[in-house]
Amino acid sequence: MSAIKTIKDVMVDVFDFPHLPYWFTLRQAMGIVQKSLLAGERCLYPLAILVFDEKYNLLGTLGLRDIMKGLEPAFLKSTTSAQVPDDESGEELALIWEAVFSGGSNDKADTQVGEAMVPARYFAQTDDPITKAAHLLTRHNLILLPVLDSNKKLVGVVREIEIFNELANSVLQA
Amino acid sequence: MILKTMETIDRDKPKKLYVQVFEILKARIESNEWPVGTQIPVEEELCKIYAVSKATIRLAVLELVRQGYLIRRQGRGTFVCERLASKGPAMSASFKAIMPENEPGLATRIMAQTVMMPVDDVGAKLNIPDDKHLIYIKRLSVRENEPVMIQESFLPHSLCPQLLRDEITKTSLLDLLEDKYELPITRIAENFDVTELSSEESKQLGLPAGAAALLLEQHFFSNDRQIMYVRSVIKPGGIRFSIEFNKNS
Repeated sequence: MSAIKTIKDVMVDVFDFPHLPYWFTLRQAMGIVQKSLLAGERCLYPLAILVFDEKYNLLGTLGLRDIMKGLEPAFLKSTTSAQVPDDESGEELALIWEAVFSGGSNDKADTQVGEAMVPARYFAQTDDPITKAAHLLTRHNLILLPVLDSNKKLVGVVREIEIFNELANSVLQA
Repeated sequence: MILKTMETIDRDKPKKLYVQVFEILKARIESNEWPVGTQIPVEEELCKIYAVSKATIRLAVLELVRQGYLIRRQGRGTFVCERLASKGPAMSASFKAIMPENEPGLATRIMAQTVMMPVDDVGAKLNIPDDKHLIYIKRLSVRENEPVMIQESFLPHSLCPQLLRDEITKTSLLDLLEDKYELPITRIAENFDVTELSSEESKQLGLPAGAAALLLEQHFFSNDRQIMYVRSVIKPGGIRFSIEFNKNS
């Protein structure tokens, strides 16, 4: 492998992604996804919103799946302490499916994005090797990895696509 | 409603569509085709009449509201109102005189200094596309430990990104914009209205949910460009406005 690339070589600008403070609602987040991510000419990957606190500290990421999970009624959330049927496509649930994303979701759409986001627990530094980012992304099933500079300031994000591309180059050229 | 004049939108004109709609609607009001008190057609109808999108109609109507031609009444519609703007002698007041946070005896607490996207109607109020990042500043003004005003400021992030890190407790936002970011304020458009407090606002101002408060909306321009939209919700009796105007020489 040639000189190992570092995170700063592949990270993208945080302002490529929409921002939202944590107290805004899923309804407002959905509007942002439609206007900022789906209506634009460029295709952004992954489709995600960065969630911040009052002092512009990154709190987490909110992907499309997180929004949809947030809209689900509580009785459909996964549980580890109760028995659940393996097959959820049975006829006995047909009526429930019809209602899941209608009436109940309108109430859930007022949930704050802070409750539905994936908290930012793992970070990379600008001088870290990209292999560290690859490890953190896959190990923790993340869609984005925030990048901090030496002053702990958020300076960018690393995406799976750039990391994959670098790894593919190194493997295919070996 | 029957419209006497039937102007059309010219898509080949370089002028933005919402500006063309704005001018047509304004002409209807100024020619008294739509006298004071007239309810204007709903958005969907205007979309059909002018063959433009809802967003275009919304921007045009918002601008007419901002300039005092129309007023929106919740649940009832949008109506032509009497413009209070004087057509008499040109008068001026100092910018600082019309900034309620400059009232003596008020202390400011910064509730938020962060970044957001334009949600709800903020994009239209600031005349900015929906995919542009905004700096969002929320301040609570307190007099003798009693909260009297919530002020939310929205500015395009690209205009002054360092504002996120600036100390704004003691420094006026206007001073920062003019001195540090070299954005001279050349015009302010203001609207006063009465609003019902949201549950969050009522908690912060110590009033019951749904209580009435004074709403002050301010649009700040530097030359022809709008650089800030400020929404202030003021507790009744919290701040007394005293503005002195001087006739321009």
